[in-house]
Amino acid sequence: MKIKLFFNNLGRSILTKDIFDNRGILRRFYKYFLTGILVRLILIPFFFQRDLLSTYQRAAETISTGNPGYDNLQIITNLIHTFYLFILKAIFPAINEVFSVLLEKDTWISWLGFNSAYNVFTTLTLFKLLYLIFDIVCMFLILRLSFDGEPENKLRVFKYWIFNPIIIFVLYIFARHDIIGVFVTLIALLLAKKDRKYWAIIVLGLAVALRFFPILILPVLVLYLVRTKKDYIILSLAGVSGITAVEILTRILFGKSVILPLLRTTHFEYLLTPRLDLVAGSHGSIFVFIAVYVIIILSFLHIKKKSFDIMLNYCAKIYLAYLGLCFFHPQYMLWLVPFLVIIFVRRKSLLYYHWVQFALLMILLVYWGDLVTKYVFAAIDHKYFVYLTGIIPIIQRFYDSAQFVNIFRSIFAGISLWMMYLIYKDTKMLQANSLEKERN
Amino acid sequence: MARVNSISKIIICAVLAALIILSAGGCRGISYIPGASFGYYIWEEGSRIFVEWSVDKKDTKFNGSILTDGKVTDSELTGWEEEIDVINIEENRIVFTATLNDDDYSDGFNFNIEGHTYLEFDLKINDGYDLNRINVGGFLENPESNVFRIEKSYFSQLETKHWYQKHPYSEFFYKLFSNKYFTFLYIFILGIVIIEILRVTVISRKKRKIIWLAVSYAVLIAVEVLVYFILKFLVG
Repeated sequence: MKIKLFFNNLGRSILTKDIFDNRGILRRFYKYFLTGILVRLILIPFFFQRDLLSTYQRAAETISTGNPGYDNLQIITNLIHTFYLFILKAIFPAINEVFSVLLEKDTWISWLGFNSAYNVFTTLTLFKLLYLIFDIVCMFLILRLSFDGEPENKLRVFKYWIFNPIIIFVLYIFARHDIIGVFVTLIALLLAKKDRKYWAIIVLGLAVALRFFPILILPVLVLYLVRTKKDYIILSLAGVSGITAVEILTRILFGKSVILPLLRTTHFEYLLTPRLDLVAGSHGSIFVFIAVYVIIILSFLHIKKKSFDIMLNYCAKIYLAYLGLCFFHPQYMLWLVPFLVIIFVRRKSLLYYHWVQFALLMILLVYWGDLVTKYVFAAIDHKYFVYLTGIIPIIQRFYDSAQFVNIFRSIFAGISLWMMYLIYKDTKMLQANSLEKERN
Repeated sequence: MARVNSISKIIICAVLAALIILSAGGCRGISYIPGASFGYYIWEEGSRIFVEWSVDKKDTKFNGSILTDGKVTDSELTGWEEEIDVINIEENRIVFTATLNDDDYSDGFNFNIEGHTYLEFDLKINDGYDLNRINVGGFLENPESNVFRIEKSYFSQLETKHWYQKHPYSEFFYKLFSNKYFTFLYIFILGIVIIEILRVTVISRKKRKIIWLAVSYAVLIAVEVLVYFILKFLVG
């Protein structure tokens, strides 16, 4: 009896009480979970983008040299991968066999050696298993972000996450590690929802150290959490101190900076690249994204009743503005998903636009050439996919490939901006609902 | 049930799409896209031998020679630019030099050959050898030496080669079979997940649930055994 009670409590704490206590919804939840896991498992061993190998090469280098600060740009991400690779190496002979390939300095030789290894599927599965774990944890965290007391809507959020094409593509085909940063960001959001304001900001600071993108939602989170004028100062300081703490810690431990290199990376550069020159040839320019970003932040500032759902809507708007206006890499789209899956429940039309975004992303891959198109399949047979005529020369044969992609990039931008407008309308609806509740 | 049907339709469509992608641009014999594909393409049609080359709109020189113990007759040039491309056709030897560029997508020639037992090729790209870009009778049917010889029966022998002996399937099946512990564990885990999906959707409505479950796992084990023998056959 006690065991049953223990498992019931465990189920409630993992799945939330709303879902666990509703048999019908619980059964559907389990069905979606299994189907989502099946899709992920089918893809796990066969596909990867070259960056996955680079990530684990840095981790292997850290293990080999004993220098934890080997990756200057993403020390914490590197430490997580190093720790994980260290465990894998101790348990699985397949990882030991591939270790010399990981330590190879020549990227082309290591890529060929990795793909031609007979156990490449085992290695890829083990490498991507880390992302599957974070993905599963995220899908349970996302249940807690919204729709309390509404199990049917919670289930929809879960469904939109588990079958999200961007998540499946980025984690299991592209094999990028952004999900780790998303996981920490979701924890920060949950803490914010539970009104643990200082912890929320500090944890978001940690997320920034993992990946650049959470910094974009920091002002929104601060504005949401402030209750008094004093809070503005305290939370801003907490945000800065969280980031500074990570910076000081890594400087002491590894003698290297974490935050400053982020500002010099392409992530930050991409924000500033779209610009309007006020006079041709002069210094006067407007950074388009910064201007739009300020409008979004100010419009959030002027909302009197800032609910958690409205805050999530604004986070979605920020990432949509980024994707719509700035140059981005495919994996950056992952940062948008946690916010969109919640909004999809209220506005299903956004879901269709999101699928169109995904379809357009598949065309935008042409931007990055063979590395993200045919080489993604190289683990199956690297020789075949190296010598196979790529999509870029085929397009180039008939039309300028950059022009071709930019047409679709413009459609992508238009759709992203339209999605921002739909979210604006959703925010208005949320505000009206909250006013009505207050009146009643 | 309707949902299960729609999911199975999606899976079938995805598999078909993957097959179409894999079969495009190479594994259907010797098809190539002039101005996009890069390399030499050599094939036989009836008694004629075709030698063509293409590059992805870059300035590239293709030069080489073909030697035979038979007699070259009835030769034809395709896409040849007289002013920059040179070809010398003798009774048992063809020597050529041609350049492709932004506007010139592909060149080539074809000829009849009588009474031969072999053809010897010496083909260069930009005055160097790149054997992986010489496709003889099929995509990635590459020679093993810089100057290579094919027997008269080469093309007909190549036709007897099965699809699973060609790229990318041969390499894929080889990796699956040589890493069999992973493959079987992987299939087993996939099988468990599929059986669980069936259990919560279809089997839960049946009367004898335990029997259905036992049958499902028996089928899974049978599939594992079958996969082992299929892979052994395909790789063997």
